[in-house]
Amino acid sequence: MKLILTSLLLGLLAGFSASAAELNVYSHRHYDSDAVLFDRFTKETGIKVNVVKGSADQLIQRLISEGKNSPADVLLTVDAGRLHRAKEAGILQPVQSKKLRQNVPASMSDPQGHWYGMTVRARVLVYSKERVKPSELTTYEDLAKPSWRGRIAVRSSSNIYNQSLLASIIAANGPDKALSWAKAVRKNMVRAPRGSDRDQARAVAAGLADVAIMNTYYLGILANSEVAEDREVAKKVSVFFPNQKGRGAHVNVSGGGVTSSSKNKKEAIQFLEFLTSPKSQNTFGEQSYEYPVKIEANRSELLESWGPFKADKVNLSILGSKNSEAVKIFDRAGWE
Amino acid sequence: MISLLSSPKTLFRNLGREFRFKLNVWTLSALVLGLLVFIPMAEVLWQLTDPAENWEHLKETVLGRYLKDSLILVAGTVFLSVAAGVSCAWLVTCCEFPGRKLFEWALVLPLAVPTFIAAYAYFDLLDMLTPLLIWVRINVGPDEMIFLSDFLVYPVTALVMASVLYPYVYLLARASFSRQGGQMIEAAQTLGYNPKSIFFRVALPLARPSIVAGASLVIMETLNDYGAVKHFGLSTFTIGIFRTWFALNDMAGALRLAAMLMLFILFLLFLERILRSGAKFDEVKNAIRPFRRYRLSVGGSILAILCCLLPLAFGFIVPLSRLCLWAGATYEKILDSTFVNLVTNSLSLAACSSVLIVAFATFLAFVGRYYRSAGVHASNRLAILGYSVPGAVVAMGILLVAGQLNVTFDVLLTGSILTLILAYLIRFLAVAWQPIDSGMEKNCDRLNEASKSLKSSAISSLVKINLPLIRSSMWAAALLVFVDTMKELPLTLILRPTNFETLSTRTFDLTSQAQIPESSVPAICIILVVVFPVIWLNRKMEARR
Repeated sequence: MKLILTSLLLGLLAGFSASAAELNVYSHRHYDSDAVLFDRFTKETGIKVNVVKGSADQLIQRLISEGKNSPADVLLTVDAGRLHRAKEAGILQPVQSKKLRQNVPASMSDPQGHWYGMTVRARVLVYSKERVKPSELTTYEDLAKPSWRGRIAVRSSSNIYNQSLLASIIAANGPDKALSWAKAVRKNMVRAPRGSDRDQARAVAAGLADVAIMNTYYLGILANSEVAEDREVAKKVSVFFPNQKGRGAHVNVSGGGVTSSSKNKKEAIQFLEFLTSPKSQNTFGEQSYEYPVKIEANRSELLESWGPFKADKVNLSILGSKNSEAVKIFDRAGWE
Repeated sequence: MISLLSSPKTLFRNLGREFRFKLNVWTLSALVLGLLVFIPMAEVLWQLTDPAENWEHLKETVLGRYLKDSLILVAGTVFLSVAAGVSCAWLVTCCEFPGRKLFEWALVLPLAVPTFIAAYAYFDLLDMLTPLLIWVRINVGPDEMIFLSDFLVYPVTALVMASVLYPYVYLLARASFSRQGGQMIEAAQTLGYNPKSIFFRVALPLARPSIVAGASLVIMETLNDYGAVKHFGLSTFTIGIFRTWFALNDMAGALRLAAMLMLFILFLLFLERILRSGAKFDEVKNAIRPFRRYRLSVGGSILAILCCLLPLAFGFIVPLSRLCLWAGATYEKILDSTFVNLVTNSLSLAACSSVLIVAFATFLAFVGRYYRSAGVHASNRLAILGYSVPGAVVAMGILLVAGQLNVTFDVLLTGSILTLILAYLIRFLAVAWQPIDSGMEKNCDRLNEASKSLKSSAISSLVKINLPLIRSSMWAAALLVFVDTMKELPLTLILRPTNFETLSTRTFDLTSQAQIPESSVPAICIILVVVFPVIWLNRKMEARR
């Protein structure tokens, strides 16, 4: 009650304000790894980290509406498409730092430094060990063939991971081919798209679908779940990295940038440097099963067990610039 | 609504008449406050005049799908809710069978379960049908399986929604049946009607307005839902709004969709009014003597018990037991020192909002009734529209207004508790306004006239006559707001301050990380906190007969 009253007053007077030794982070990431790392950051630097969790879209909208009065210093989110959208909306400022340039490969960050990648995830094919031979699988494009009719599980196109995947296909093959691909894959789906990436793996394990399009780390989450059924799911399926003879498997990042409104720019940069430092990077692999932003630096056993792979080298900011085109193509293809 | 929808000419004439005679501090402030509450929604409606860049694209590709899914879901949910609500209401009011008294109040319990929590409690309902689908694929064919799996989504989602929304119909139908009780039904009995034809030819037609009112609440709740439809993969209007807003990054298009949804709901409300107008015959005065219920045979009793048990089990017993089962396995992980904060945050937020909203509603209703002012009446009608619009749309409107204020006056409104409470005010004003306004209509209108003729001031009429007489309505209003605020999700999610979490946002956060078992602990807390006011409100409704 007291808290409410105080906040009421604060809200009346000046909104939210933070003292110098605090960082306000708007984060879409909800992984245990982040809490661990934020704590470590506070211990090392004495800078307190306040987190507002929310869906990225809502946080971006909120930053736009708060404008230069926003209390936020850092925006953390998943998917380059969203980071690009945040940049376009003018809520991120360009920052340059030698450490960040060292820690993050150029293709995994914004050319002007509005955002930097923090972890990498690959969007791959996950197939049933029982019913699919790895030799049947080749490329994303191959999933459009009639032989996959009623065998594919994939989530809704409202999800940004799918949008970025399609954006990478537009970048590689052009919009017309991307449209016919999306149409054909929608036809081949075993059911109207729903649920999370994990649910697609579950559909494969349950025998409903034969192959799912999903992000790698979800398999890690399933394999390490406390729920026995989920561990069973992980045992029944396997990872296939597509397009290895061509452009490589589609990868994406989660990352962050310093907000335009930040009053603690120095600390905010320090925070991003900390998250991308080699020491922090290993925590992601262990805790949230994501690849480090330098994929080859991976030390996680589980991730190594999926084998090395060739990643699509397209600059991730392209995924952002082709995002709305991708959404419209999904709309036209009838992929809900 | 009538005054809102009357022609502009009469509206202006009324306004003119009113400004000549009734302009004073009270009416003016009520007018201003009412319109202020309406502003965010007006902002949304205003978008209809603005051509959105992607509108043609939306119209060509997805608009039809949004319409189709919304209509099918609404139809299915309303059908199931009415079937369950009306039959249970009839059984507990007009038939006698073992357990009747228990069912009479227990059947309202699902009201304590928000639709998104119901969806999580039944998160695997569709997956349970996987063996059936596989069987169809093997024995019939893949195309038939795809068709079936696409089709099954609708009945399953409608079933989950209806299982927690049917109490709206049940409550209103029950009240109507028990009002008719003594007079109409016994008259029909003496005329030699059998129970079946009494139900279909007397009770049901008489209860129609109440059933329609209950059904319209079900429709609004169905269209408001985001969590459940998202979980089951339907593309309703709310989903479309979020998709256009965030995936297409087109707020104007999203607002246009929102405005269309608002118009659609306004049309429904208008329709409901027409269906109800002239149907005052439902309002038979309270039964003079208790109605003699039909004694059911053993077989009939078993059927009646099953009929009442089914919705209760689906809407409350099964979800709550599943949640409890999960909570037993996960509570150690979830119950930490921050959890107490969630509870106090939720409770104090709901309490503050209830007080503010009830005060606000009382003031607006009082001024509207006391001064019989058409202008205030119209602005009240506009102010309570927030309840008929999905929470996400209200949040959009507020963000729009807050953004403009931020640019013009350099004040930051988002992210404070005050904004959140104001948002609740906009969304839930109607919830408090309805019982208070009807309480005043029943108890105070004539006394107010008398007190006016005795030249006593408005303030003393309010304090000495109205407030004491509508005390119980105000309590009911406060509890209703409390229940709704506790259950609220989208507004809180979008507008909450930094580091501020409530039980419902924590539930959602956990489920969005696919930690459905973990989310059961805060979900149960919401249900437990809400269930007592729901029972109390139900008692009050029963006592009133």
